[in-house]
Amino acid sequence: MNNYIEKNILPLVTKPITYLGNEVNAVHKIPNLEMIRFAFAFPDTYEVGMSHLGMKILYGLLNEEKDIWCERVFAPWVDMEEQLRLHDLPLYGLESMMPLNDYDFVGFTLQYEMSFSNILNMLELGKISLRSTRRKEAEPFVIAGGPCAYNPEPLSDFIDIFVIGEAEEVILKIMAAHREWKKTSGNRQDFLKMAATIEGVYVPAFYEVSYDQKSGVITAFSPIIEAAPATIRKQFIEDLDQAYFPDKIVVSYTETVHDRISYEIFRGCGRGCRFCQAGMIYRPTREKTVPTIQTKIKALIESTGYDEVSLSSLSTGDYSEIEALIKNLVCDAEVGKVSISLPSLRIDSLSIEMLEEIQKVRKAGLTLAPEAGTQRMRDVINKGVTEENLMDTVKTAFEKGWGHVKLYFMIGLPGETLADIEGIADLGQKVVDEYYKIDRESRNKSLKVVLSASSFVPKPFTPFQWMGQNTPEEFKNKQRHLKASIKDRKISYSWHDSGVSFLEAVFARGDRRLGLVLEKAHQKGCRFDGWGEYFDLQKWTEAFAEAGIDPEFYALRNRDYDEILPWDFIDTGVTKKFLKTEAEKAEAAVTTPFCPENCSNCGIMEFKKGWKCNG
Amino acid sequence: MVKIQYQFKRSTPLRFLSHLDQQRLFQRAFRRANMPVEYSQGFNPHPRMSFALAMSVGLTSDGEYGEVIVSEDVDVETFISRMNKVLPNGLEIISAKICGEVVGSLSAALSKSIYRIRIKIVQGTDLNELAESLHSYLALPQILMQKRNKKGKYVEKDIRPFIESISVFADPEKDKVNVKMTLVYIEQQCVKPEHVLESINNQNSAVFLIDPTIEIHREKLLINADA
Repeated sequence: MNNYIEKNILPLVTKPITYLGNEVNAVHKIPNLEMIRFAFAFPDTYEVGMSHLGMKILYGLLNEEKDIWCERVFAPWVDMEEQLRLHDLPLYGLESMMPLNDYDFVGFTLQYEMSFSNILNMLELGKISLRSTRRKEAEPFVIAGGPCAYNPEPLSDFIDIFVIGEAEEVILKIMAAHREWKKTSGNRQDFLKMAATIEGVYVPAFYEVSYDQKSGVITAFSPIIEAAPATIRKQFIEDLDQAYFPDKIVVSYTETVHDRISYEIFRGCGRGCRFCQAGMIYRPTREKTVPTIQTKIKALIESTGYDEVSLSSLSTGDYSEIEALIKNLVCDAEVGKVSISLPSLRIDSLSIEMLEEIQKVRKAGLTLAPEAGTQRMRDVINKGVTEENLMDTVKTAFEKGWGHVKLYFMIGLPGETLADIEGIADLGQKVVDEYYKIDRESRNKSLKVVLSASSFVPKPFTPFQWMGQNTPEEFKNKQRHLKASIKDRKISYSWHDSGVSFLEAVFARGDRRLGLVLEKAHQKGCRFDGWGEYFDLQKWTEAFAEAGIDPEFYALRNRDYDEILPWDFIDTGVTKKFLKTEAEKAEAAVTTPFCPENCSNCGIMEFKKGWKCNG
Repeated sequence: MVKIQYQFKRSTPLRFLSHLDQQRLFQRAFRRANMPVEYSQGFNPHPRMSFALAMSVGLTSDGEYGEVIVSEDVDVETFISRMNKVLPNGLEIISAKICGEVVGSLSAALSKSIYRIRIKIVQGTDLNELAESLHSYLALPQILMQKRNKKGKYVEKDIRPFIESISVFADPEKDKVNVKMTLVYIEQQCVKPEHVLESINNQNSAVFLIDPTIEIHREKLLINADA
């Protein structure tokens, strides 16, 4: 197959080099019958997937095991898909070019809801039965994890095994179970039962859901076999400093979305922004130590040749020793030669001087995320950033010569009024005014302020999980209103399509009845829904109609606090009680402090015996 | 500061690299090999390295030229062995030499490219007849071809001076043929081998089936010093 594809298919498609799996540091092994073959599947393009940190960690981790060969597979771009279908060739794992249906495991990472249709498409292209119940004995086990697995239900018809939480430890336990299972004469069902007993594993086929005939809400959710636990506890790595992190990562030939070393300096976030799912599900906050970070980054630079390192986390400025870390990195003879970038900086913790010190390239745009336009609204979402913080930051930035500022906002937040929308435009104007206060000689010659407003999607396990999303009509009105409120020509405005946000809201908080919708949408050709040019709301609308399912039930409805939510069987450690209290505080626009300042009892310390935050 | 001129091979596993991909690859390989590459001054410093020619996607070659400026003395053997240790399968440095910094640009020194092409042909094409028609093609005093200029406009260009020789050989696969072609650089201008095949098709009847599955291999790239 390899030679045929190389000679006859790849010359016909764009970026053929991304379908060969021969990059620097790609892992090639000599397969044998005992070997567990694992295809790590990213349901989006190569350029997007190769920027994903989780894949790099698990790829390295699994390949450390002699008897496991983990390979990669991405959603083929539409031209490649066309060729594969035309020649009736299966989608394959990149390194060995083995057809997807020959693997023992195909493991999807679920990063965002709009990639769900790609999962079905990849399974079909890999000639794997779509529905879990239809899969034959010899077919791979389809497993999935990642942030969207915290509400796994919409995908439960298609995924055999979900991993809830951080996968580093669980995945190896599943592999160990597979080794044991292979020694027995057990069937598929037997392995799934074994997997279901591993902590943090959810096998949806072993659970049953019933619904209220009239209202459609869930009335019961329960396991149907004894081995399956009623509650699935999310897994997290306690000692992140000692946790596995690869010294080598695959270096793409083509330019990827984040074309640099991304090194995770801590996990979790104690800020408690109420819209942010990651901020809740990745608790508790765990840091790596400065020496570990330094050693690892050095090794990664040596093995890859990258000239840029990004220190990643949910809020990089919150790293307890950020200044010492940066100082050490900049002074290091090896690391000092490459540029260091700090993504996800909060406005209040942002030190422009620090940015200036480490960014060796010219001053590109400065991106800040106030998230909301008025102080009241920022208190509702517990963003904990003031206008003063923002103005101080932009003032310093303009003084240092920055001229391009991008501000991120969300619209459709709970309790939002038109005054809050106008606040976004006002804030943009104040940033412009701040620029003109700077002496003409020292400021950048050109000014550009971009206001970017995305449509808010309520997510599971956040204080806003009960809240109905704004209707597409409401979003349109707000966007129009915001646009009309902008008076200065230096300010430009960009927004996100509310059709996509609506669908995202449906799947984010959907239940297993949506499986039928996904299947129908897939049959109609939906894929790459996150790519504007391929998103087709019409097809999705038809799919909902044919499945007899009202999408508004999931996206727009305000849910009662006592309603059984589709993801209630998962325990993230952050209690429902805490989320409810936070929702009530949001209604009253009362803020909750940053974890290290004052513990608000989210539940994570009781979740794991002996765990203590910030100490 | 030392300027190293090197010759490298690109084979099938990496034939789909774009010019930019290859530049990135070499930059990273220099870093992995711990080569002290010099950077340009200015707002956006970039490594001082270049290739004699941009290789098009799909092209394989036995001898491309590249240059890099390093800040410390590196002997040629060390350069070759350290680079080949870090280069992925599909790229290999075959020779290198240290040259004075004032040496003119590589692209100005280009003289000839010798290509071998594997291409599908129309069923039933007789190889002898094809050879004859190539003979009469080369006998033409002028071969005009539509070419897009830098502004995107089509202009007529006489490509005959750029063609030194063309010959055909049989291929183990019956529907394919091997074409050997020597093309000449004149004032840094040249013609692409696939365009020559297209013009042969235009002059006679269409014999070559030109599609993306064409395999183009540069056997040799001559630069003036050794021409």
